[in-house]
Amino acid sequence: MSSSSRPVAGLIAPAFCFLLICFIVPVLLLLSTSLQGHAGWSFENFGTFFQSTLNRRVLWTTIRLGVLVTLSSVVLGYIAALSIVDLSAGNRGRVLGLTMLPLMISPVARTYAWLVLLGQAGVLNDFLQLLGVTQQPVRFLFTETAVYLGLLQLFLPLMILSLVSALENLPPDVVTAARTLGAGWLTVFFKVILPLTREGLIIGGTLVFTGSITAYITPAVLGGSRVLMLETLLYQRVHLGNDIKTASVIAVILVGLSFVANYVIRKLSSRKT
Amino acid sequence: MKLIGRTLLVAQLLFLIGPLLLLALTALSAGETLEFPPDGLSLRWMARVFEIESFRASFMTSLLVAVASTVFSLLLGLPAAYAFSRYTVPFGEAIRLFLSSPIIVPGIVVGLALLDFVVVPFALDPIGALLVAHTALLIPYSVRVVGASLAGLRVDIEEAAVLLGSTRLGAFRSVVLPNIQNGVMAAAVLGFITSFNQVPVSLFLTGPGVSTLPIDMLAYVEATFDPSMAALSVMLAVLSLIIVFATERLLGLSKYV
Repeated sequence: MSSSSRPVAGLIAPAFCFLLICFIVPVLLLLSTSLQGHAGWSFENFGTFFQSTLNRRVLWTTIRLGVLVTLSSVVLGYIAALSIVDLSAGNRGRVLGLTMLPLMISPVARTYAWLVLLGQAGVLNDFLQLLGVTQQPVRFLFTETAVYLGLLQLFLPLMILSLVSALENLPPDVVTAARTLGAGWLTVFFKVILPLTREGLIIGGTLVFTGSITAYITPAVLGGSRVLMLETLLYQRVHLGNDIKTASVIAVILVGLSFVANYVIRKLSSRKT
Repeated sequence: MKLIGRTLLVAQLLFLIGPLLLLALTALSAGETLEFPPDGLSLRWMARVFEIESFRASFMTSLLVAVASTVFSLLLGLPAAYAFSRYTVPFGEAIRLFLSSPIIVPGIVVGLALLDFVVVPFALDPIGALLVAHTALLIPYSVRVVGASLAGLRVDIEEAAVLLGSTRLGAFRSVVLPNIQNGVMAAAVLGFITSFNQVPVSLFLTGPGVSTLPIDMLAYVEATFDPSMAALSVMLAVLSLIIVFATERLLGLSKYV
Protein backbone atom coordinates (compact mmCIF):
# COMPACT_ATOMS: atom_id res chain seq x y z
CA MET A 1 0.00 0.00 0.00
CA SER A 2 1.30 3.44 -0.89
CA SER A 3 2.64 5.23 2.13
CA SER A 4 2.69 8.66 0.55
CA SER A 5 0.15 11.00 2.10
CA ARG A 6 -0.61 12.82 -1.12
CA PRO A 7 -3.62 10.69 -2.19
CA VAL A 8 -5.01 10.94 1.33
CA ALA A 9 -4.92 14.74 1.31
CA GLY A 10 -6.45 14.84 -2.16
CA LEU A 11 -9.27 12.49 -1.18
CA ILE A 12 -10.18 14.21 2.06
CA ALA A 13 -9.59 17.82 1.04
CA PRO A 14 -12.86 18.37 -0.90
CA ALA A 15 -15.13 17.31 1.98
CA PHE A 16 -12.84 18.97 4.53
CA CYS A 17 -12.66 22.33 2.75
CA PHE A 18 -16.38 22.39 1.97
CA LEU A 19 -17.30 21.78 5.61
CA LEU A 20 -14.67 24.25 6.82
CA ILE A 21 -15.98 27.10 4.69
CA CYS A 22 -19.69 26.30 4.61
CA PHE A 23 -20.16 24.91 8.08
CA ILE A 24 -17.41 25.21 10.71
CA VAL A 25 -16.42 28.83 10.10
CA PRO A 26 -20.02 30.15 10.02
CA VAL A 27 -20.93 28.22 13.18
CA LEU A 28 -17.80 29.49 14.99
CA LEU A 29 -18.55 33.05 13.86
CA LEU A 30 -22.09 32.72 15.23
CA LEU A 31 -20.82 31.35 18.53
CA SER A 32 -18.24 34.14 18.79
CA THR A 33 -20.99 36.73 18.35
CA SER A 34 -22.10 35.81 21.87
CA LEU A 35 -18.81 37.23 23.23
CA GLN A 36 -19.06 40.54 21.41
CA GLY A 37 -20.20 43.20 23.84
CA HIS A 38 -20.70 46.91 23.26
CA ALA A 39 -17.00 47.58 23.81
CA GLY A 40 -15.04 44.57 22.60
CA TRP A 41 -15.03 41.03 23.93
CA SER A 42 -17.03 40.39 27.07
CA PHE A 43 -19.51 38.09 28.75
CA GLU A 44 -22.17 40.79 28.96
CA ASN A 45 -24.52 38.99 26.52
CA PHE A 46 -24.53 36.01 28.86
CA GLY A 47 -25.24 38.36 31.78
CA THR A 48 -28.16 39.94 29.93
CA PHE A 49 -29.46 36.52 28.91
CA PHE A 50 -29.52 35.16 32.44
CA GLN A 51 -31.02 38.35 33.89
CA SER A 52 -34.25 37.79 32.00
CA THR A 53 -36.82 35.73 33.91
CA LEU A 54 -38.28 34.45 30.63
CA ASN A 55 -34.91 33.14 29.43
CA ARG A 56 -34.17 31.46 32.75
CA ARG A 57 -37.61 29.88 32.72
CA VAL A 58 -37.14 28.59 29.15
CA LEU A 59 -33.75 27.11 30.03
CA TRP A 60 -35.28 25.45 33.08
CA THR A 61 -38.28 24.11 31.09
CA THR A 62 -35.90 22.70 28.48
CA ILE A 63 -33.70 20.93 31.02
CA ARG A 64 -36.68 19.72 33.05
CA LEU A 65 -38.46 18.29 29.99
CA GLY A 66 -35.18 16.72 28.81
CA VAL A 67 -34.66 15.03 32.18
CA LEU A 68 -38.30 13.90 32.47
CA VAL A 69 -38.35 12.43 28.97
CA THR A 70 -35.01 10.70 29.59
CA LEU A 71 -36.07 9.21 32.94
CA SER A 72 -39.43 8.04 31.57
CA SER A 73 -37.79 6.45 28.57
CA VAL A 74 -35.31 4.64 30.85
CA VAL A 75 -38.14 3.07 32.88
CA LEU A 76 -40.38 2.33 29.88
CA GLY A 77 -37.37 1.31 27.79
CA TYR A 78 -36.26 -1.40 30.22
CA ILE A 79 -39.80 -2.77 30.52
CA ALA A 80 -40.16 -2.92 26.73
CA ALA A 81 -36.63 -4.15 25.99
CA LEU A 82 -36.80 -6.96 28.56
CA SER A 83 -40.04 -8.20 26.99
CA ILE A 84 -38.67 -7.82 23.47
CA VAL A 85 -35.52 -9.92 24.02
CA ASP A 86 -37.82 -12.60 25.42
CA LEU A 87 -39.68 -12.91 22.09
CA SER A 88 -38.88 -15.36 19.29
CA ALA A 89 -36.51 -13.99 16.62
CA GLY A 90 -39.30 -13.35 14.09
CA ASN A 91 -41.58 -11.53 16.53
CA ARG A 92 -38.61 -9.57 17.84
CA GLY A 93 -37.97 -8.21 14.35
CA ARG A 94 -41.64 -7.32 13.89
CA VAL A 95 -41.92 -5.53 17.24
CA LEU A 96 -38.67 -3.64 16.63
CA GLY A 97 -39.99 -2.60 13.23
CA LEU A 98 -43.15 -1.20 14.86
CA THR A 99 -41.05 0.53 17.52
CA MET A 100 -39.02 2.30 14.86
CA LEU A 101 -42.08 3.42 12.91
CA PRO A 102 -42.31 6.91 14.49
CA LEU A 103 -38.65 7.51 13.60
CA MET A 104 -39.25 6.82 9.92
CA ILE A 105 -42.23 9.10 9.45
CA SER A 106 -42.01 12.74 8.40
CA PRO A 107 -41.60 14.70 11.65
CA VAL A 108 -44.34 17.16 10.77
CA ALA A 109 -46.78 14.31 10.10
CA ARG A 110 -45.86 12.61 13.36
CA THR A 111 -46.39 15.78 15.36
CA TYR A 112 -49.59 16.56 13.51
CA ALA A 113 -50.99 13.22 14.70
CA TRP A 114 -50.83 14.58 18.27
CA LEU A 115 -52.69 17.68 17.14
CA VAL A 116 -55.49 15.47 15.83
CA LEU A 117 -55.56 13.60 19.13
CA LEU A 118 -55.18 16.47 21.59
CA GLY A 119 -56.66 19.51 19.77
CA GLN A 120 -59.68 21.57 20.90
CA ALA A 121 -61.82 19.67 18.38
CA GLY A 122 -59.56 16.64 18.65
CA VAL A 123 -60.38 13.01 19.25
CA LEU A 124 -59.76 13.08 23.00
CA ASN A 125 -62.03 16.10 23.51
CA ASP A 126 -64.78 14.58 21.35
CA PHE A 127 -64.52 11.43 23.39
CA LEU A 128 -64.64 13.22 26.76
CA GLN A 129 -67.69 15.24 25.68
CA LEU A 130 -69.37 12.12 24.38
CA LEU A 131 -68.91 10.51 27.78
CA GLY A 132 -70.21 13.65 29.42
CA VAL A 133 -67.03 14.10 31.48
CA THR A 134 -66.79 17.71 30.31
CA GLN A 135 -69.04 20.21 28.51
CA GLN A 136 -66.32 22.61 27.34
CA PRO A 137 -63.33 21.36 25.35
CA VAL A 138 -60.28 20.94 27.59
CA ARG A 139 -57.04 22.56 26.47
CA PHE A 140 -54.46 19.79 26.13
CA LEU A 141 -52.37 21.50 23.49
CA PHE A 142 -49.74 24.12 24.29
CA THR A 143 -49.04 22.49 27.63
CA GLU A 144 -45.87 20.89 28.90
CA THR A 145 -47.71 17.57 28.99
CA ALA A 146 -48.35 17.75 25.24
CA VAL A 147 -44.69 18.54 24.53
CA TYR A 148 -43.63 15.77 26.92
CA LEU A 149 -45.83 13.19 25.13
CA GLY A 150 -44.59 14.26 21.70
CA LEU A 151 -40.94 14.07 22.75
CA LEU A 152 -41.42 10.73 24.49
CA GLN A 153 -43.02 9.21 21.39
CA LEU A 154 -40.14 10.48 19.29
CA PHE A 155 -37.25 9.40 21.51
CA LEU A 156 -38.48 6.32 23.40
CA PRO A 157 -37.70 4.16 20.32
CA LEU A 158 -34.02 5.19 20.51
CA MET A 159 -33.85 4.08 24.14
CA ILE A 160 -35.62 0.78 23.44
CA LEU A 161 -33.28 0.04 20.53
CA SER A 162 -30.11 0.73 22.50
CA LEU A 163 -31.34 -1.28 25.51
CA VAL A 164 -32.37 -4.21 23.30
CA SER A 165 -28.88 -4.35 21.79
CA ALA A 166 -27.33 -4.10 25.27
CA LEU A 167 -29.54 -6.92 26.57
CA GLU A 168 -28.74 -9.08 23.55
CA ASN A 169 -25.07 -8.87 24.54
CA LEU A 170 -25.79 -9.99 28.08
CA PRO A 171 -24.08 -13.32 28.82
CA PRO A 172 -26.95 -15.81 28.36
CA ASP A 173 -27.04 -17.52 31.75
CA VAL A 174 -26.43 -14.74 34.24
CA VAL A 175 -30.10 -14.04 34.91
CA THR A 176 -30.96 -17.74 35.32
CA ALA A 177 -27.92 -18.19 37.56
CA ALA A 178 -28.94 -15.34 39.84
CA ARG A 179 -32.53 -16.64 39.96
CA THR A 180 -31.41 -20.17 40.79
CA LEU A 181 -29.28 -18.81 43.60
CA GLY A 182 -32.42 -17.31 45.08
CA ALA A 183 -32.37 -13.67 43.98
CA GLY A 184 -35.78 -11.97 43.57
CA TRP A 185 -36.67 -10.12 40.34
CA LEU A 186 -35.77 -6.70 41.74
CA THR A 187 -32.41 -7.94 43.00
CA VAL A 188 -31.69 -9.52 39.61
CA PHE A 189 -32.53 -6.26 37.88
CA PHE A 190 -30.51 -3.95 40.10
CA LYS A 191 -27.55 -6.28 40.80
CA VAL A 192 -27.21 -8.08 37.46
CA ILE A 193 -29.07 -6.54 34.53
CA LEU A 194 -28.57 -2.86 35.30
CA PRO A 195 -24.78 -3.00 35.83
CA LEU A 196 -24.28 -5.16 32.73
CA THR A 197 -26.34 -2.93 30.45
CA ARG A 198 -24.98 0.32 31.87
CA GLU A 199 -23.30 1.39 28.63
CA GLY A 200 -26.40 0.86 26.50
CA LEU A 201 -28.33 2.82 29.10
CA ILE A 202 -25.92 5.76 29.02
CA ILE A 203 -25.74 5.82 25.22
CA GLY A 204 -29.54 5.67 24.92
CA GLY A 205 -29.95 8.24 27.67
CA THR A 206 -27.57 10.69 26.03
CA LEU A 207 -29.31 10.32 22.66
CA VAL A 208 -32.71 10.90 24.25
CA PHE A 209 -31.56 13.85 26.36
CA THR A 210 -29.73 15.72 23.59
CA GLY A 211 -32.53 14.89 21.15
CA SER A 212 -35.13 16.30 23.54
CA ILE A 213 -33.34 19.54 24.38
CA THR A 214 -32.50 20.27 20.74
CA ALA A 215 -35.87 19.30 19.25
CA TYR A 216 -37.63 22.00 17.25
CA ILE A 217 -40.82 20.72 15.60
CA THR A 218 -42.35 19.07 18.67
CA PRO A 219 -42.16 22.12 20.97
CA ALA A 220 -43.06 24.44 18.08
CA VAL A 221 -46.29 22.60 17.22
CA LEU A 222 -47.34 21.15 20.58
CA GLY A 223 -45.97 23.87 22.86
CA GLY A 224 -46.49 26.97 20.73
CA SER A 225 -45.46 30.22 22.36
CA ARG A 226 -46.85 29.11 25.72
CA VAL A 227 -44.30 26.36 26.29
CA LEU A 228 -41.05 27.65 24.85
CA MET A 229 -37.90 25.53 24.75
CA LEU A 230 -34.39 26.73 23.82
CA GLU A 231 -34.77 26.04 20.10
CA THR A 232 -38.18 27.67 19.79
CA LEU A 233 -36.95 30.63 21.87
CA LEU A 234 -33.98 31.01 19.52
CA TYR A 235 -36.29 31.01 16.50
CA GLN A 236 -38.60 33.53 18.13
CA ARG A 237 -35.73 35.85 19.14
CA VAL A 238 -34.41 35.94 15.58
CA HIS A 239 -37.73 35.93 13.77
CA LEU A 240 -39.60 38.47 15.87
CA GLY A 241 -36.83 40.51 17.43
CA ASN A 242 -33.85 40.07 15.10
CA ASP A 243 -31.97 39.63 18.36
CA ILE A 244 -28.75 37.91 17.26
CA LYS A 245 -27.04 38.46 20.63
CA THR A 246 -29.56 36.39 22.57
CA ALA A 247 -29.75 33.86 19.74
CA SER A 248 -25.97 33.39 19.81
CA VAL A 249 -26.00 32.82 23.58
CA ILE A 250 -28.69 30.13 23.13
CA ALA A 251 -26.59 28.65 20.30
CA VAL A 252 -23.58 28.41 22.65
CA ILE A 253 -25.69 26.62 25.27
CA LEU A 254 -27.17 24.18 22.72
CA VAL A 255 -23.85 23.41 21.00
CA GLY A 256 -22.10 23.05 24.37
CA LEU A 257 -24.67 20.56 25.67
CA SER A 258 -24.61 18.58 22.40
CA PHE A 259 -20.82 18.30 22.33
CA VAL A 260 -20.61 17.21 25.97
CA ALA A 261 -23.25 14.53 25.32
CA ASN A 262 -21.51 13.41 22.14
CA TYR A 263 -18.19 13.17 23.99
CA VAL A 264 -19.80 10.91 26.60
CA ILE A 265 -21.21 8.60 23.89
CA ARG A 266 -17.89 8.46 22.07
CA LYS A 267 -15.95 7.60 25.24
CA LEU A 268 -18.36 4.84 26.15
CA SER A 269 -18.77 3.29 22.73
CA SER A 270 -15.02 3.23 22.09
CA ARG A 271 -14.51 1.48 25.44
CA LYS A 272 -17.02 -1.19 24.46
CA THR A 273 -15.16 -2.26 21.31
CA MET B 1 -44.37 -11.49 35.39
CA LYS B 2 -44.08 -12.31 31.72
CA LEU B 3 -47.73 -11.45 31.15
CA ILE B 4 -47.39 -8.05 32.84
CA GLY B 5 -44.28 -7.34 30.76
CA ARG B 6 -46.05 -8.25 27.52
CA THR B 7 -49.09 -6.12 28.41
CA LEU B 8 -46.89 -3.12 29.14
CA LEU B 9 -45.03 -3.68 25.87
CA VAL B 10 -48.30 -3.66 23.93
CA ALA B 11 -49.35 -0.49 25.79
CA GLN B 12 -46.10 1.20 24.74
CA LEU B 13 -46.53 0.15 21.11
CA LEU B 14 -50.03 1.62 21.26
CA PHE B 15 -48.58 4.90 22.56
CA LEU B 16 -45.96 4.95 19.79
CA ILE B 17 -48.23 4.00 16.90
CA GLY B 18 -51.77 4.82 18.06
CA PRO B 19 -51.65 8.51 17.13
CA LEU B 20 -50.37 7.60 13.65
CA LEU B 21 -53.24 5.14 13.09
CA LEU B 22 -55.72 7.78 14.20
CA LEU B 23 -54.17 10.21 11.74
CA ALA B 24 -54.59 7.68 8.95
CA LEU B 25 -58.28 7.27 9.81
CA THR B 26 -59.00 11.02 9.84
CA ALA B 27 -57.22 11.36 6.51
CA LEU B 28 -59.93 9.17 5.00
CA SER B 29 -62.73 11.26 6.50
CA ALA B 30 -65.60 12.38 4.30
CA GLY B 31 -66.52 15.28 6.62
CA GLU B 32 -65.59 18.97 6.49
CA THR B 33 -63.53 19.06 9.65
CA LEU B 34 -61.33 16.69 11.60
CA GLU B 35 -63.68 14.45 13.45
CA PHE B 36 -63.56 11.14 15.13
CA PRO B 37 -65.18 8.83 14.32
CA PRO B 38 -65.19 10.35 10.79
CA ASP B 39 -68.56 10.81 8.98
CA GLY B 40 -67.96 8.10 6.44
CA LEU B 41 -64.86 7.36 4.45
CA SER B 42 -63.64 8.99 1.27
CA LEU B 43 -60.52 9.92 -0.63
CA ARG B 44 -61.62 13.54 -1.17
CA TRP B 45 -58.97 15.04 1.13
CA MET B 46 -56.25 13.05 -0.57
CA ALA B 47 -57.40 14.58 -3.85
CA ARG B 48 -57.67 18.05 -2.29
CA VAL B 49 -53.96 17.99 -1.36
CA PHE B 50 -52.98 18.02 -5.01
CA GLU B 51 -55.00 21.19 -5.57
CA ILE B 52 -53.04 23.20 -3.03
CA GLU B 53 -50.66 25.21 -5.21
CA SER B 54 -48.04 25.97 -2.56
CA PHE B 55 -47.69 22.30 -1.64
CA ARG B 56 -46.94 21.46 -5.26
CA ALA B 57 -44.25 24.14 -5.45
CA SER B 58 -42.65 23.26 -2.12
CA PHE B 59 -42.75 19.54 -2.93
CA MET B 60 -40.71 20.25 -6.07
CA THR B 61 -38.26 22.38 -4.06
CA SER B 62 -37.84 19.63 -1.46
CA LEU B 63 -37.35 17.02 -4.16
CA LEU B 64 -34.74 19.11 -6.00
CA VAL B 65 -32.83 19.99 -2.82
CA ALA B 66 -32.93 16.40 -1.54
CA VAL B 67 -31.69 14.84 -4.79
CA ALA B 68 -28.99 17.45 -5.47
CA SER B 69 -27.63 17.59 -1.91
CA THR B 70 -27.55 13.77 -1.75
CA VAL B 71 -25.47 13.67 -4.94
CA PHE B 72 -23.13 16.45 -3.77
CA SER B 73 -22.65 14.87 -0.35
CA LEU B 74 -21.74 11.54 -1.98
CA LEU B 75 -19.29 13.20 -4.37
CA LEU B 76 -17.57 14.84 -1.39
CA GLY B 77 -18.02 12.04 1.13
CA LEU B 78 -17.13 8.97 -0.93
CA PRO B 79 -13.45 9.92 -1.53
CA ALA B 80 -13.07 10.75 2.18
CA ALA B 81 -14.59 7.41 3.20
CA TYR B 82 -12.24 5.66 0.75
CA ALA B 83 -9.21 7.48 2.22
CA PHE B 84 -10.19 6.38 5.74
CA SER B 85 -10.59 2.74 4.73
CA ARG B 86 -7.42 2.38 2.63
CA TYR B 87 -4.83 4.74 4.09
CA THR B 88 -3.61 5.84 7.47
CA VAL B 89 -5.01 9.31 7.78
CA PRO B 90 -2.90 11.73 9.81
CA PHE B 91 -4.96 13.13 12.73
CA GLY B 92 -7.56 10.53 11.74
CA GLU B 93 -9.72 10.79 14.85
CA ALA B 94 -9.81 14.59 14.76
CA ILE B 95 -10.69 14.63 11.06
CA ARG B 96 -13.42 12.04 11.60
CA LEU B 97 -14.93 14.20 14.35
CA PHE B 98 -14.63 17.23 12.07
CA LEU B 99 -16.44 15.45 9.23
CA SER B 100 -19.24 14.26 11.52
CA SER B 101 -19.76 17.61 13.26
CA PRO B 102 -22.78 18.62 11.14
CA ILE B 103 -24.88 15.96 12.90
CA ILE B 104 -23.72 17.07 16.34
CA VAL B 105 -24.50 20.78 16.03
CA PRO B 106 -28.25 21.39 16.54
CA GLY B 107 -30.02 22.15 13.27
CA ILE B 108 -31.38 25.56 14.12
CA VAL B 109 -27.87 26.77 15.03
CA VAL B 110 -26.57 25.58 11.65
CA GLY B 111 -29.39 27.40 9.86
CA LEU B 112 -28.82 30.69 11.66
CA ALA B 113 -25.03 30.50 11.24
CA LEU B 114 -25.35 29.91 7.52
CA LEU B 115 -27.92 32.69 7.15
CA ASP B 116 -25.76 35.31 8.85
CA PHE B 117 -22.32 34.32 7.63
CA VAL B 118 -22.82 32.66 4.24
CA VAL B 119 -26.19 33.49 2.71
CA VAL B 120 -26.30 37.21 3.49
CA PRO B 121 -22.61 38.05 2.79
CA PHE B 122 -22.53 36.05 -0.46
CA ALA B 123 -26.10 36.97 -1.48
CA LEU B 124 -27.10 33.32 -2.03
CA ASP B 125 -30.65 32.70 -3.16
CA PRO B 126 -32.79 30.36 -1.01
CA ILE B 127 -32.23 27.32 -3.24
CA GLY B 128 -28.45 27.80 -3.13
CA ALA B 129 -28.61 28.29 0.64
CA LEU B 130 -30.64 25.10 1.12
CA LEU B 131 -28.26 23.15 -1.12
CA VAL B 132 -25.18 24.26 0.82
CA ALA B 133 -26.81 23.55 4.18
CA HIS B 134 -28.22 20.14 3.25
CA THR B 135 -24.99 19.02 1.56
CA ALA B 136 -23.06 19.85 4.74
CA LEU B 137 -25.67 18.02 6.82
CA LEU B 138 -25.50 14.86 4.68
CA ILE B 139 -21.70 14.53 4.43
CA PRO B 140 -21.44 12.70 7.80
CA TYR B 141 -24.03 10.15 6.67
CA SER B 142 -22.32 9.42 3.36
CA VAL B 143 -18.87 9.15 4.97
CA ARG B 144 -20.17 6.78 7.62
CA VAL B 145 -22.45 4.57 5.51
CA VAL B 146 -20.07 4.26 2.54
CA GLY B 147 -17.26 3.71 5.07
CA ALA B 148 -19.12 0.78 6.63
CA SER B 149 -19.58 -0.71 3.18
CA LEU B 150 -15.87 -0.26 2.30
CA ALA B 151 -14.86 -1.88 5.58
CA GLY B 152 -16.53 -5.09 4.43
CA LEU B 153 -14.59 -5.15 1.14
CA ARG B 154 -11.34 -7.08 0.87
CA VAL B 155 -8.36 -4.91 -0.03
CA ASP B 156 -6.52 -7.66 -1.90
CA ILE B 157 -8.89 -7.86 -4.89
CA GLU B 158 -8.24 -4.19 -5.53
CA GLU B 159 -4.49 -4.73 -5.08
CA ALA B 160 -4.70 -7.63 -7.53
CA ALA B 161 -6.23 -5.35 -10.16
CA VAL B 162 -3.42 -2.82 -9.63
CA LEU B 163 -0.74 -5.55 -9.84
CA LEU B 164 -2.30 -6.74 -13.08
CA GLY B 165 -1.74 -3.32 -14.59
CA SER B 166 -4.85 -1.35 -13.75
CA THR B 167 -4.49 2.23 -12.54
CA ARG B 168 -5.70 3.16 -9.04
CA LEU B 169 -8.66 5.01 -10.51
CA GLY B 170 -9.37 2.17 -12.93
CA ALA B 171 -9.28 -0.36 -10.07
CA PHE B 172 -11.61 1.86 -8.08
CA ARG B 173 -14.08 2.09 -10.97
CA SER B 174 -14.03 -1.54 -12.03
CA VAL B 175 -13.45 -3.32 -8.71
CA VAL B 176 -14.37 -1.16 -5.71
CA LEU B 177 -17.39 0.73 -6.99
CA PRO B 178 -19.41 -2.30 -8.16
CA ASN B 179 -18.79 -3.94 -4.78
CA ILE B 180 -19.90 -1.00 -2.67
CA GLN B 181 -22.84 0.07 -4.80
CA ASN B 182 -25.34 -1.20 -2.22
CA GLY B 183 -23.67 0.89 0.45
CA VAL B 184 -23.71 3.93 -1.83
CA MET B 185 -27.41 3.36 -2.56
CA ALA B 186 -28.12 3.00 1.16
CA ALA B 187 -26.29 6.27 1.83
CA ALA B 188 -28.27 7.93 -0.95
CA VAL B 189 -31.62 6.76 0.44
CA LEU B 190 -30.72 7.78 3.98
CA GLY B 191 -29.50 11.16 2.72
CA PHE B 192 -32.59 11.73 0.61
CA ILE B 193 -34.96 11.00 3.50
CA THR B 194 -32.92 13.10 5.93
CA SER B 195 -32.92 16.07 3.59
CA PHE B 196 -36.54 15.68 2.54
CA ASN B 197 -37.77 15.66 6.17
CA GLN B 198 -35.38 18.32 7.41
CA VAL B 199 -36.91 21.27 9.26
CA PRO B 200 -34.62 23.07 11.77
CA VAL B 201 -31.69 23.57 9.37
CA SER B 202 -33.94 24.94 6.61
CA LEU B 203 -36.06 27.15 8.88
CA PHE B 204 -34.00 30.32 8.46
CA LEU B 205 -32.93 29.58 4.89
CA THR B 206 -36.25 29.41 3.05
CA GLY B 207 -37.08 32.74 1.49
CA PRO B 208 -39.97 34.62 -0.02
CA GLY B 209 -41.75 32.26 -2.39
CA VAL B 210 -39.30 29.41 -1.81
CA SER B 211 -40.19 26.89 0.87
CA THR B 212 -39.60 23.22 1.46
CA LEU B 213 -42.54 20.87 1.93
CA PRO B 214 -42.16 20.20 5.68
CA ILE B 215 -41.81 23.93 6.41
CA ASP B 216 -44.81 24.71 4.24
CA MET B 217 -46.74 22.03 6.14
CA LEU B 218 -45.66 23.52 9.45
CA ALA B 219 -47.04 26.92 8.40
CA TYR B 220 -50.27 25.32 7.15
CA VAL B 221 -50.73 23.42 10.43
CA GLU B 222 -50.65 26.68 12.36
CA ALA B 223 -53.24 28.30 10.09
CA THR B 224 -55.81 25.63 9.20
CA PHE B 225 -57.25 22.56 10.78
CA ASP B 226 -58.83 20.35 8.14
CA PRO B 227 -58.23 16.74 7.04
CA SER B 228 -56.08 17.77 4.05
CA MET B 229 -53.02 18.00 6.33
CA ALA B 230 -53.78 14.55 7.68
CA ALA B 231 -54.17 13.27 4.11
CA LEU B 232 -50.83 14.75 3.04
CA SER B 233 -49.13 13.42 6.18
CA VAL B 234 -50.40 9.93 5.51
CA MET B 235 -49.31 10.00 1.87
CA LEU B 236 -45.82 11.12 2.90
CA ALA B 237 -45.69 8.51 5.65
CA VAL B 238 -46.65 5.75 3.22
CA LEU B 239 -44.07 7.03 0.72
CA SER B 240 -41.24 7.00 3.26
CA LEU B 241 -42.26 3.57 4.56
CA ILE B 242 -42.20 2.18 1.02
CA ILE B 243 -38.73 3.64 0.47
CA VAL B 244 -37.41 2.30 3.79
CA PHE B 245 -38.87 -1.19 3.34
CA ALA B 246 -37.80 -1.46 -0.30
CA THR B 247 -34.26 -0.44 0.61
CA GLU B 248 -34.21 -2.84 3.53
CA ARG B 249 -35.43 -5.70 1.31
CA LEU B 250 -33.12 -4.95 -1.59
CA LEU B 251 -29.99 -3.67 0.12
CA GLY B 252 -30.29 -4.33 3.84
CA LEU B 253 -30.13 -0.67 4.87
CA SER B 254 -29.79 -1.62 8.54
CA LYS B 255 -26.41 -3.24 7.87
CA TYR B 256 -24.92 0.16 7.20
CA VAL B 257 -26.61 2.48 9.65
